[in-house]
Amino acid sequence: METLSNLLHGFAVALIPTNLLSCLVGVAMGTIIGALPGIGPSAGVAILLPLTFGANPTTAMIMLAGIYYGAMYGGTITSVLINTPGESSSVMTTLDGYQMARQGRAGVALGIAALGSFFAGSMGVALLMFFSPLLADFALTFGPPEYFALMVLGFTALAGLSGTSPLKGLISVLLGLLIATVGLDVMTGTSRLTFGRLELLSGIDFLPVAMGLFGLAEVLVGVEKPGGFSIDKADLSLSKVFPRLADWRQSRWPILRGSLLGFIIGVLPGAGATIASFISYALEKRLAKEPERFGRGAIEGVAGPESANNAASAGAMVPLLTLGVPGSATTAIMMGALMMYGLRPGPLLFTQNPDFVWGLIASMYIGNILLVLMNILMIPSFVQILRIPSALLLPLIVVFCVVGVYGLQNSLFDVWLMIFFGLLGYAMKKLDFPTAPLVLALVLGEMLETAFRQSLTMSLGSPAVFLEQPISATLLTLSLLVFLYPLLASLWKGLARGTR
Amino acid sequence: MWRKVAAVSIVLVLVLGVGILSGCQRAAETKKTAYPEKPIELVVPFSPGGGSDVMARTIAKIMEQEKILPQPLLVVNKPGGGGAIGWTYAAEKKGDPYVIATVSSSFWTTPLTEKTPVNYKSFTPIAGIGLDDFLLLVKADSAITDVKQMVASAKAKPKSLKMGGTSTSDDRVVTSLLEKKAGIQFNYVPFKGGGDVMTALLGGHVDLAWANPGEALAQIEAKKIRPIASASRARLSKFPGVPTLKEAGFEVVFQQRRGIVAPLGIPEEAVKVLEAAFRKLSETTAWKKDYLEKNLITPEFMGSKDFGQALEERNETYKTVYKDLGVIK
Repeated sequence: METLSNLLHGFAVALIPTNLLSCLVGVAMGTIIGALPGIGPSAGVAILLPLTFGANPTTAMIMLAGIYYGAMYGGTITSVLINTPGESSSVMTTLDGYQMARQGRAGVALGIAALGSFFAGSMGVALLMFFSPLLADFALTFGPPEYFALMVLGFTALAGLSGTSPLKGLISVLLGLLIATVGLDVMTGTSRLTFGRLELLSGIDFLPVAMGLFGLAEVLVGVEKPGGFSIDKADLSLSKVFPRLADWRQSRWPILRGSLLGFIIGVLPGAGATIASFISYALEKRLAKEPERFGRGAIEGVAGPESANNAASAGAMVPLLTLGVPGSATTAIMMGALMMYGLRPGPLLFTQNPDFVWGLIASMYIGNILLVLMNILMIPSFVQILRIPSALLLPLIVVFCVVGVYGLQNSLFDVWLMIFFGLLGYAMKKLDFPTAPLVLALVLGEMLETAFRQSLTMSLGSPAVFLEQPISATLLTLSLLVFLYPLLASLWKGLARGTR
Repeated sequence: MWRKVAAVSIVLVLVLGVGILSGCQRAAETKKTAYPEKPIELVVPFSPGGGSDVMARTIAKIMEQEKILPQPLLVVNKPGGGGAIGWTYAAEKKGDPYVIATVSSSFWTTPLTEKTPVNYKSFTPIAGIGLDDFLLLVKADSAITDVKQMVASAKAKPKSLKMGGTSTSDDRVVTSLLEKKAGIQFNYVPFKGGGDVMTALLGGHVDLAWANPGEALAQIEAKKIRPIASASRARLSKFPGVPTLKEAGFEVVFQQRRGIVAPLGIPEEAVKVLEAAFRKLSETTAWKKDYLEKNLITPEFMGSKDFGQALEERNETYKTVYKDLGVIK
């Protein structure tokens, strides 16, 4: 009951006109930032942070949080329409979302993503509200061995993405892992594969790679074809762009599973929305009756990961608000912002600054409603992008990619990096190498390696550390089962046939 | 439809432009004097929201509010390469007194380990403005009660105590100094950032960790973690009950030094103006309240000359420790 009265108080704070306005501005900017390739939520929050100085901390934080979860909605748009993920947690959406767009179902993909995001976002806030203290304790049980096991589970998601040839998929994964090792090594402080370039010391960022491999490469392939993008433009009329009941029926379980999974992974500091979306995609593919539909426009492949990344962004607020430790790159910047406003996030935040915490939580409910309305109502106009003749659309995508990547750190080096990966992506497409495993290995690789070496350091070299902890042992067993599932399934079938 | 596209792009340009414009507008309020005749760029070699950024923005705000300089300071974030990108950018503006940069530990450590083209010798020292202390922390329910008992148990079983810290940064250095003075060995577990270290300590995955008082205060006040010592010269005013390592019998004094540098070859007059400005800044109540007190920074002002000497001494400390650790040859 206390929670509810606190929440009512929170709504009183969140509905003050200035706070309401800052929520609206935040979610609108978040949608734009998420949609723009290159500028993801963490860069967006960092760029807009100085604008909030001088504002009341609650008002400012409502806006920053709005940017964060707004970006999770916005990231879908470019993934679906032009195959360019706006931020890292939307990579999985390109796989089926873009295929849906090519089949003339872009509106359906965007609609189901918006509805799924709304459900996931609202559920995430509700879980955050009721279970924060419990969840905080759960998050703390994750040390390096547990993270290692979680990353391994994430890698099993790769197995399903290798396309026609497992060998080509494996090469793509290894390339991604190799790129993940570039930069300063956390464990020893030495630089690896930087070739004397200062820009490479902090490693290769995910965004230039993803935008090159997906967006730019797609443009290059499109240029070759006389018709440009081969998108079925037959029917973009209003009645056909929204999801239908059948689409909803197909998506409801993926949305629910994605939301729960996303929230739990989001709560863990460091894991975050991207990994949540990978695992959700892999899960949906495993559970699907016809897994071969995935990668060819399966709506579950959009609904699951899009719900997971939104729920994860709500989950990431748990460690920030209850423990005072940031759970993701974006919440790390928010934590710096809070300290600049003079609030010290920590275990006492809930009791010492109830106005702030509950106002923020209430604003997240409001923000999600604003976002789902905004995103659904905008679908008809977003889909119009596909009507732009490809002679104009293709150069426009290139401009967006270049400006977006440059905006990341004001660095031309990043632009060259993206162009390089664009060419690589083109070559990979021509040679029929899957590109998604490379990107995913790049994201997971660094954490996998760090967690592995930290665990072994902690245990003074004994690998038993991974099996001694119940959580890591469970996750590793689960990964093994997922990995062996196809083999076990066919063995079982063979046995069943044999006995008959 | 094209109108729609045009409208969307105009909105985008406006949104992104606001930040830049709000900075430029301030430049219009020019008064005719000697140096500085135009706004000064204050380069932060890290992302917004970090310790250096908080310091730079507070400096810019107070300098303007208290009218210490006739021209505003414009904070510019140039992150990447462990600070190397930002510092290289500043050092390359030789003779330009309109670019200054913040100094924190990576100012020394990155050039030492990475052999970057610029190091502490590539700058004109302006002022040292504060010290960030280190607290040695344990989890609230830890069996460790004080430093002496901790050292005894570490001696009894080498490498049995896990010490969390950020990579090869200050945490590594101060750990190494303590190991040497006490004749013990920790099992040092490196993490990516201070937040990760704190999480590992709270979760009991490591036994000990270092943190700046500003980082640790919220957790200490909530009684989740317990400071057992500080690596400062004297007890910290905020934690009068926490002994220094020196009191416990181990002569370890180490702090993160924060300050300001300019490129080489700037006019002597500019150095004087900037030095005086930062001296004045350090004496304002706003600085003491909004920066030092809020972030629990130990005040210590140093002028250009003293700070120059401190830069060199600090470089030697890092060099010695890194050689001992085998990080550099």
